[in-house]
Amino acid sequence: MKKAAFALLLLGLLALALAQRYFGDQELEQIKTAGKAYAEVFINQRPDQALCSLHKNRLPADLLPKFLEEQRAQIKYPQSGKLMGDWRKGGAIFNNLQRANCFSCHYGSPVHLGGDVGPSLEKYGLKRGQSEAIQRYTYEVIYNAWAYFPCTVMYRFGAQGLLTPEEIADVVAYLLDPESDFNTKPAVGSR
Amino acid sequence: MRSYKHRLFLAGLALLGVLGGLFAYTQQQKPLDPYEEAMRQRQMYLETFGVLPGELYAEEGKELFFRKGPSGKTLEECDFGLGKGKLQGAYAVLPKYFPDSRRVEDLESRVYTCMQTVQGFKPAQIKRDEVKAITTYIASFSSKAKMQVVPKHPQELALYNLGRELWYHRAGARDMSCAVCHDQYAGQRVRLSPVRSPKQGLGSEWPAYRFEADKLYTMEDRIAFCYESIAIPAPAFYSEPYIALTLYMLAEATKAGKSFEELPFFTR
Ligand code: HEC
Ligand code: HEC
Repeated sequence: MKKAAFALLLLGLLALALAQRYFGDQELEQIKTAGKAYAEVFINQRPDQALCSLHKNRLPADLLPKFLEEQRAQIKYPQSGKLMGDWRKGGAIFNNLQRANCFSCHYGSPVHLGGDVGPSLEKYGLKRGQSEAIQRYTYEVIYNAWAYFPCTVMYRFGAQGLLTPEEIADVVAYLLDPESDFNTKPAVGSR
Repeated sequence: MRSYKHRLFLAGLALLGVLGGLFAYTQQQKPLDPYEEAMRQRQMYLETFGVLPGELYAEEGKELFFRKGPSGKTLEECDFGLGKGKLQGAYAVLPKYFPDSRRVEDLESRVYTCMQTVQGFKPAQIKRDEVKAITTYIASFSSKAKMQVVPKHPQELALYNLGRELWYHRAGARDMSCAVCHDQYAGQRVRLSPVRSPKQGLGSEWPAYRFEADKLYTMEDRIAFCYESIAIPAPAFYSEPYIALTLYMLAEATKAGKSFEELPFFTR
């Protein structure tokens, strides 16, 4: 009885592994001709990346609940428990092309003309307020956008280690704090 | 000596390009359309020097094409897709399967292969810059040619599939894929740059001289540039991922009836 359950579990895991595999063995060999650094990116493909790729970024409804749950589980919070840090530090991160590059996709920065890949964040803090729920939502979207928008183009800043929890809290403050330049100064391009 | 002079000349051209570019930028209130800006720069090079930088690379490539290798042979002995010595339109059918190397090759890897198998060079003797120049020379015979990349051979089909999978695969710390930018946002602009999809003719401009970088970029260089911009280490030159992606993009563009630009192209 136990054995059968174990075998079933194994089968299940195998099916899962197969379902989430994206490149075949021969393809992985071809990818390896490109050198170690490149190949590692694809050999160590994350199952969630493979899943989004496989479904061309539109996950079928039956896969969604589990996917969202797994993405949520990746979110970690600052040690201090405070989700709003130092808005000045957050501004330096938001407006830096090499760091977070938020402005390339979002309109609203008083420093750089923003892009329109994502929704406008103009005067985000004045429009949304600073409630606990808004702080949490904003923090979590930045930490792991896939927990709210599965397979979206926005980078998963915390989940992929691009920003630390503390840095994300600084960015949250930059967006939400009513004193922040983001909310007191006009966005570049506004009239 | 010749090549030293050539470099100096190119450096001079570049300086002028940069200064000219800066000037144009400060004079203009609205950001210039990148395409118009490239055409303006191109015109300036032509009026000042009577020649475009890309043509100089092609010229250098021509000399290297007719240079004898250790085996005593020139690249005239290499089949670039339409048979030995046939260069007219050859670039437009690549990448394709070559029975002699038993491999699907794009023009760059084909040059690299023939420099070894026909001319007798050792891999370590082959300079990337030389391959780029020869590629530019050969591609210039397909200026404005209609693309004709139709995978048929089993290896071509397999590589096309790999190319399509690499195209859609979300990878690296930014979860990016070629498709996210070039399909989802095709026709829009990523920081001023218009992004095209394969069906809109993506890839029709290479090899090209990019005046912003003051360098010649082949298709492989251009793909490497996009990989670097999404923090994925670029593949080694002449490796399968480049050939696969090129095959995928150009086969899609072929289906849409696209042609190459003037090659070598002049762009930003
Ligand atoms: C590559 C483009 C891209 C980058 C870079 C990016 N975002 Fe986003 N962002 C998006 C998109 C697209 C959405 C909308 C999600 C969807 O519908 O798929 C979004 C959504 C959001 C939202 C939710 C907006 C709302 O109205 O609820 C916030 C907040 C946000 N982003 C903040 C940021 C911050 C802060 C950064 C930088 C740390 C950033 N984004 C970087 C593309 C991006
Ligand atoms: C973050 C967005 C982004 C991603 C991801 C991306 N590109 Fe690009 N790509 C661009 C931009 C922007 C340009 C420049 C367009 C211009 O200046 O004309 C470009 C240009 C190109 C060009 C030359 C332009 C042309 O019209 O011929 C090629 C070829 C290309 N990309 C291929 C790829 C491939 C292959 C991948 C995946 C490995 C990829 N790109 C991933 C944004 C991206």
